[in-house]
Amino acid sequence: MKQNSLSADPLDVLTNWKLFLAGDMPAFGKLMSQHFQILFHYGNKFSRDPEFVKDCIQDVFLNLWERRAYLASDVAVKPYLMASLRRHMHRTSKNFNLETAAYEQDAEFDILFSVEQEFIENEATMMMAQRVKHFVDLLPARQKEVVYLRFFQDLDRSQIAHIMDVSPQTVSNLLQIALKQLRKSWHLVSALLGFFFWA
Amino acid sequence: MEHYKNFEVDDFVWDEYFRQWVLHPTRESHAAWNEWLAKNPSRAEVLHRARQIVQSLQIKESSLSEEEIKSMVDTTLQRIGSPKPEERRWNISHYIGHARWVRVAASVLLLLAVGWMVNHKKTNQAVTSSTGTTVGAGSHNAQQMVERTNHGVSPLLVLLPDGSRITLMKGSRISYPEHFDQSVREVSMVGEAFFDIQKAPERPFIVYAGELVTKVLGTSFLIRAYPANREVTVEVKTGLVSVSAYGKASQALNDRHEANGMILSPNQKVIFEKNEVRLVKTLVAEPEIIVPDAAALHFEFEDVPVSEAFDAIAKAYGIEIRYDKHLLSDCPLTAKLDTQTLREKLSIICLAVEATYEIVDGQIVVQSKGCKN
Repeated sequence: MKQNSLSADPLDVLTNWKLFLAGDMPAFGKLMSQHFQILFHYGNKFSRDPEFVKDCIQDVFLNLWERRAYLASDVAVKPYLMASLRRHMHRTSKNFNLETAAYEQDAEFDILFSVEQEFIENEATMMMAQRVKHFVDLLPARQKEVVYLRFFQDLDRSQIAHIMDVSPQTVSNLLQIALKQLRKSWHLVSALLGFFFWA
Repeated sequence: MEHYKNFEVDDFVWDEYFRQWVLHPTRESHAAWNEWLAKNPSRAEVLHRARQIVQSLQIKESSLSEEEIKSMVDTTLQRIGSPKPEERRWNISHYIGHARWVRVAASVLLLLAVGWMVNHKKTNQAVTSSTGTTVGAGSHNAQQMVERTNHGVSPLLVLLPDGSRITLMKGSRISYPEHFDQSVREVSMVGEAFFDIQKAPERPFIVYAGELVTKVLGTSFLIRAYPANREVTVEVKTGLVSVSAYGKASQALNDRHEANGMILSPNQKVIFEKNEVRLVKTLVAEPEIIVPDAAALHFEFEDVPVSEAFDAIAKAYGIEIRYDKHLLSDCPLTAKLDTQTLREKLSIICLAVEATYEIVDGQIVVQSKGCKN
């Protein structure tokens, strides 16, 4: 999978992180190369302007280099970078409410799910897959984001909490609500389909 | 895995354990699911469908090409590699004035620094304007970096493309471009290394190590910049070396109106204390004689004014010794000091004339009440 080829050995990432903290420029270059794509993918969910996303990622890295003397040496690097980018983009974008200093609740999370046909054997399964996609598409932004981070970025609860700047309990709640919603829609349609077939 | 019996397709699709098996199978998960399937053959169809759906459901991402990423990384590196001119300015005003040669050397350095900044700015603009227009433009401008790490126990000699010789200590690492720029030679180092730099006044040599940037024209010096140490140090063996803090450290020094850079001559050493963000100039532990024919030098003094001894020592070691000429003019000295180190020599002389000395700002300062009885 695409994501896998991008994620490097965690130990190597951490060693490299420490070198970067010591002011090693090649290590900093490596840190950027290792995470640029993931950050670009993530950033695209908050803006449709790829140039803006690239600028934001660059700002995040420049900022990181400036502050390297004050950074912890044992962070989970990927979630840390994702959190920094998210914060930076929200601060820079129009959705950030200056008065309340908070992100607008309805800020979009622009994610495009797709069903790759090559994995599907028959039409019935294809229909089911489309259904899954349809329902996950319908989730509200924040639930979608939790689903994305949990199921497509393999991040754990506390990492997601850090990235989204909410409590771990909120993450669990969001995830539960999302899954409940997905199940409910699924069963509703199943029931309708069943009714249709029997009628 | 009892509860999976009642799972429908969508339950499986969003089940973490199931997804793990489909997307990142391990021997254990394979065994577990095969066993479950053997016990629940009626669920095979459901499981099979869920599997296909998990695999098929992906996220459409517009990705950057490797060239695009490389060029973004390179421009970012360029931006931090050339701090703003304010940070580059060598703060030498405090150190000008003691000796004529220091003043001359300082202005030469300053001129070169200005020239270098102008040149560097040009390069930067070239890079910015060319990135993204053509594939490969980024890699053309950005230097291919070579990285050497000393994994062994004995020092490792690294020859740079300009003929400079770097002795890399155990566990230390240096990186440098495969081809040096026309206007500047830049390397970065972690750990400890001795630098013997090929003279090329038109192309300053710059070392980034820890919080310090060390700039020379052609000299030899030692840098210690271990991430775990509280200090970064630069010790000069020959030539003139300009050292300054960069980035946050430089800013912090500026804010406190302290010098964020200094020029070092042979036998001088600068210590950067990371915790206190402080630059201190001192002498190396064992200063060495720097004049060419050290063997021909003799430190034999027989009933001469002590000032003569101080001057001879100062000249031999290339350091400044400050004392009150008037007070010490009547202090005679008789001593043979050929085998002693600098510190021993000074201690003996001071003992003889009832003076004390201390190292202040990389110079020897002699305190005395005089010898007039």
